[in-house]
Amino acid sequence: MDASAKPAAEKEIDPMLLSIMANRVDGIVREMTNTLLRASRSAVIASARDMSCAIVTGDNELLATAEGLPVHIFGSHLQTISMQKLHPDLAPGDAFLHNDPYMGNTHPADHTILVPVFVDGEHMFTVCAKSHQADTGNATPTTYTPYAKDVYEEGGLIFPCVRVQRDYKMIDDIVRMCRRRIRVPDQWYGDFLAAIGSARVGERRLIEFCRKYGKDKVRSYIAQWIDYTENRTIQAIKKMPKATIKHSGAHDPLPGLPEGVPINCSIEIDPEEARIEIDLRDNIDCLDNGFNVCEACAINNSIAGIMNCLDPDIPRCHGVFRRVTVLLRDGAVVGRTKFPHSASIATTNVGDRLVNLTQSALAQLGDGYGLAEGGVGMGAGWAVVSGKDFRQDGEPYINQLFVGGNGGPASPTADGWLTYGIPVAAGLIYRDSVELVEVKHPLHMKSVRLHPGTCAPGKFRGGPGAELIYGPKRDPMTVAIPCDGQVFPPKGVNGGHDSPGARTFKVKRDGSEERLPGVAQVTLEPGEWLRGIDNSGGGYGKPVERDPRRVLHDVAEKWETVERAREVYGVVLEEDESPLGYAIDEAATATLRQSMAAG
Amino acid sequence: MRYKISVDTGGTFTDVVVQDDQGRVVIGKSPTTPDRIFEGMRGALSDAASALGITLASLLGDAELLIYGTTRSTNAIVQGTVAKTAFLSTLGFPDILVTREGGKFGPHDFSYDFPKPYVARRHTFEIVERISSEGEVVTPLDEAQARSVVRRLKAEGFEAAAVSFLWSIANPVHEKRMGEILAEEAPEIAVSFSHILVPIVREYRRASTTAIDASIKPLMQNHLRGMQSDLRAAGFKGNVFVSTSAGGCTYVDDIVEKPIHTVKSGPAMAPVAGRAFAAMEKLGSDVIICDTGGTTFDVGLVRDGELKYTRETWLGGQWMGHLMAMASVDVRSVGAGGGSIAWIDEGGLLRVGPMSAGSVPGPVCYGQGGDKPTVTDAALVLGYIDPDYFLGGRMKLDMAGARQAVGTLAKELGAEVEKTAHAILNVANEHMINAIQDITVAEGFNPAEAVLVAGGGAAGLSIVPIARELGVKTVLVPRTAAALSASGMQFSDIVFEESGNRVTVSGRFDSAGVNAVLEEIDGRLTRAFNELTVAEGAETRREYTVEARYLTQVWELDATLPVDRFHSDADVEQMVESFHRAHERVFAVRDETGQVECLNWRGRMTVQLASREMAREAPRAAESRVAAERTSYFGEGAVSVPIYRGDELAIDQDIAGPAIIEEPTTTLVIYPGSTARLTAGGNYVIQL
Repeated sequence: MDASAKPAAEKEIDPMLLSIMANRVDGIVREMTNTLLRASRSAVIASARDMSCAIVTGDNELLATAEGLPVHIFGSHLQTISMQKLHPDLAPGDAFLHNDPYMGNTHPADHTILVPVFVDGEHMFTVCAKSHQADTGNATPTTYTPYAKDVYEEGGLIFPCVRVQRDYKMIDDIVRMCRRRIRVPDQWYGDFLAAIGSARVGERRLIEFCRKYGKDKVRSYIAQWIDYTENRTIQAIKKMPKATIKHSGAHDPLPGLPEGVPINCSIEIDPEEARIEIDLRDNIDCLDNGFNVCEACAINNSIAGIMNCLDPDIPRCHGVFRRVTVLLRDGAVVGRTKFPHSASIATTNVGDRLVNLTQSALAQLGDGYGLAEGGVGMGAGWAVVSGKDFRQDGEPYINQLFVGGNGGPASPTADGWLTYGIPVAAGLIYRDSVELVEVKHPLHMKSVRLHPGTCAPGKFRGGPGAELIYGPKRDPMTVAIPCDGQVFPPKGVNGGHDSPGARTFKVKRDGSEERLPGVAQVTLEPGEWLRGIDNSGGGYGKPVERDPRRVLHDVAEKWETVERAREVYGVVLEEDESPLGYAIDEAATATLRQSMAAG
Repeated sequence: MRYKISVDTGGTFTDVVVQDDQGRVVIGKSPTTPDRIFEGMRGALSDAASALGITLASLLGDAELLIYGTTRSTNAIVQGTVAKTAFLSTLGFPDILVTREGGKFGPHDFSYDFPKPYVARRHTFEIVERISSEGEVVTPLDEAQARSVVRRLKAEGFEAAAVSFLWSIANPVHEKRMGEILAEEAPEIAVSFSHILVPIVREYRRASTTAIDASIKPLMQNHLRGMQSDLRAAGFKGNVFVSTSAGGCTYVDDIVEKPIHTVKSGPAMAPVAGRAFAAMEKLGSDVIICDTGGTTFDVGLVRDGELKYTRETWLGGQWMGHLMAMASVDVRSVGAGGGSIAWIDEGGLLRVGPMSAGSVPGPVCYGQGGDKPTVTDAALVLGYIDPDYFLGGRMKLDMAGARQAVGTLAKELGAEVEKTAHAILNVANEHMINAIQDITVAEGFNPAEAVLVAGGGAAGLSIVPIARELGVKTVLVPRTAAALSASGMQFSDIVFEESGNRVTVSGRFDSAGVNAVLEEIDGRLTRAFNELTVAEGAETRREYTVEARYLTQVWELDATLPVDRFHSDADVEQMVESFHRAHERVFAVRDETGQVECLNWRGRMTVQLASREMAREAPRAAESRVAAERTSYFGEGAVSVPIYRGDELAIDQDIAGPAIIEEPTTTLVIYPGSTARLTAGGNYVIQL
């Protein structure tokens, strides 16, 4: 066993009880998640599900995460470490608000509520409820400030693990501060209450759990569960070949950064020692903008990329960290962000690229390993819209849409997931209903359709991107689009093709189109439209190796054309009377594929 | 003698429950015959008739009511044997059924493909038209284009069409006109319209529901009409009703227009039964209902005597399957049952499921080729099941095979066979405990204050430890536990439900608009009631609910309307208070200052059809008799346990655990520390 493992608990529990107790704790996280999801106000939490809950042990080891977003949960223990360091007087009834990216949080828009759980005076667990706020009081009306040169220009309130409840009572000073500085304060307060409610539910259930089994057994369970997760990770790594992989990627160019934001990693896989080490130290220094990826996001996203390629049944808990480690550098663009550099959009953009970087690096091990790159960029479908609503006496509105979405990466066994979103969301996020979007905002959607011919080909193909067209109904509307993947589209691996790339256009009244930069903010007058095309995920493996029946199905379902089936996949189709409308010409396909493979 | 018959045709068995006018109840069972459903029904009816000591002809001749429940539609959807269906959508929005609403299981799992849409993309047709969210015509319906699409449908042999346009709920003019064109050009195509079937906001839910409904219309029309005429031919002269997913029943003529209401109607009946049995035994009006099958475990809820409804019923699993958004009895299913397979993962942990041996090959002990240890095998090893008295002795179980299979796992775990079997049951129980907690917790419902009604053949094996884990004090196992859904139909009422949409906010409440919607709902309910020919003078009840949320919230909650029309600010305040209470119950917080946004309005009319009593048991022996002793295991080594046969028990006498009670179709394991008694109603009440 690893040296960092705690001394063996007094009494071992049998694997049956271990399974039951783990299941129970997982149920507690799900109950917390349900409370947070359903009671929250803002669309970004309740509709998009941009939130996560986790349970961390009293000694700051991640224990349970249920279905939390990958970008959120691997770093929860960093936040609980700061809670213990800053508050030696921790007591039952405390609750803390933590959104400090320099101290373990993901980015300032993610408000995390931490509640230490005490049993008979002993600090056994900390429960964490994290949710992306609709607003956090930034200088401009958005939670993503790509061009803020530092935290001051970003302007939002930072809470470095600040106590908001003592003896289960609200510390109103903090609430008053927030209500003064956060836009649409009632919306924020509703989300704040939902997070506290969620954490308190977790606290109550964990205390019941300890009462039922007794603290000794609970301690044994914690130790053994983390060991179990470690063992599962060991098993998975032992199946991999020994290798050191160097890999690079980049975010699209930004003003002042014509080459984009380069990112590098070196991954060492040691199956004998059953360890994977991700070295992110060879990266440029922090940027004077909001794209810096802070410590929590750097760990979360690089590990998420690895986890995407391991047995998905491995529980996400501290046992994984004993075997998969990340080396970071102070002051690097992906690393420990140096104060006062801004990490405003740390969770997405460059953060998304980091997930793609590690998962596609593993594809270098050969067929069967790793993933292609997933679709990146919060394009037209994920833009922040704002303006005044003529239907509500001109009241202002601001919200992030979740209508479109990029396609997912192809894997060694499956095509890319269709409602993938972005790498850090990994398909977990919900889509908005077009009708609800039109009720909530004075805008008209002209079309939302999957864009044919955008699927990056491969033995397994990327998920297609969507095309959206929308515009204001009566008054001007401002649209902020923090997109990526327009210049450097997601890449395919092992012979799989790249995505054709995302694009955004402003459609003028005369119907002419103006291509917009990736990160853009435009004001649309009535009669003008925004048209966006999202990214496909990258393909995996050579298209000529794709199962011809999959190609046939793609053509029948209009993801692909007969021409591309022939030219890209080497599959010759003929129209016929079958339900799919085509048949595979086996002989012609074999000949064509042979010549393509040769040439 | 007059009889009331309920028939539940499952995928494998057809269950029949017959009640006479004295309240006497018998069960009949026969294999389902999918090709001609009446064959299997006749078998089960004959079985029941002989239990009553009469002929099938006199049972059918003297029956005044037959309630029919079917899995025909559910199976057709799952197996993909529905009609060739077209999806007609608004221009620009062809992928509503493809993309659904997002969500995915397994954040790091990229091993599986995105699920296919309910209607293929190549069967989706965009119609040139658009209504705005305010109900204005933005793009008029292009009649020529619409007509050419319909001609194409006809030429390509489509049998059904689902019409679901954006904002048809705000202004149905285009859906209506599309219907006229379809009727003119292709009257043979079965059509469903979203604004009629399920007038709610959110285009995916409306389209999916409409598509499912259209796709099963042709087959359900044939199926139900065929069943009805076969019944008539066999001499049945009474009324035929069909049970629905709303937990009630309705006329064949109604249901063939909206056949989606038959989907999952079987599971919806279990809570109806649970509510009736709990009331009969005076065990209160908060009830958790569990129905254990061979491969699934269903949970439902009754609060204050009211069934819990949902507008989110997934066919084929959440996110991966297809959504039905009409209000249905909320029944959550998890894949856990007697057939769930136990295994050990790479980290050495014992797991049960999600793989199942199903009924074929089934558990190892069935001797039909199954070679992986299942929950049923574990129960056999523990001595809970008598290998010679399974299904009343109709099937011999292979104890040696079960022990060997469980033994393989035991060796790997380094534990005894019995201890391993006990662990398998406990791990399996976890899935069921989770399922119960998911539904109760999501409703702010405390299981400790409820009675748990257990049904299904395997109900009695584990229900005591499950109930104990949830803090439940009382468990009720009805005498017809093995046919809980069919029993539920015996207690079901005729239920009509109508809904309408009017988005408004409490601060600027549109009383006139809402009243108009309620008026429309009432009108439709009254028309439906007037068409009823039975149940004259029966008690009727109307209830109204609103699906509402705090302004800027995203998910709605159901709040009961305290008034049937809004005449004053006080009426609106009462509605707001009703919403605050619902929110507080579910989420433990209320926001007094928050405005309430109302979206969808619903009216439900219940016409009471059934008496809610069953007959008392005939007098029994004064003393319960122990039929046998058997060695069983409850985690702490072997104990000798008394075995009772159900028909040899005295009424109201406590039997202390450990003990096992065997009925022909179910087995009750009374764990140490609990006591069971047979009530005068013929049901078992277990106290924990």
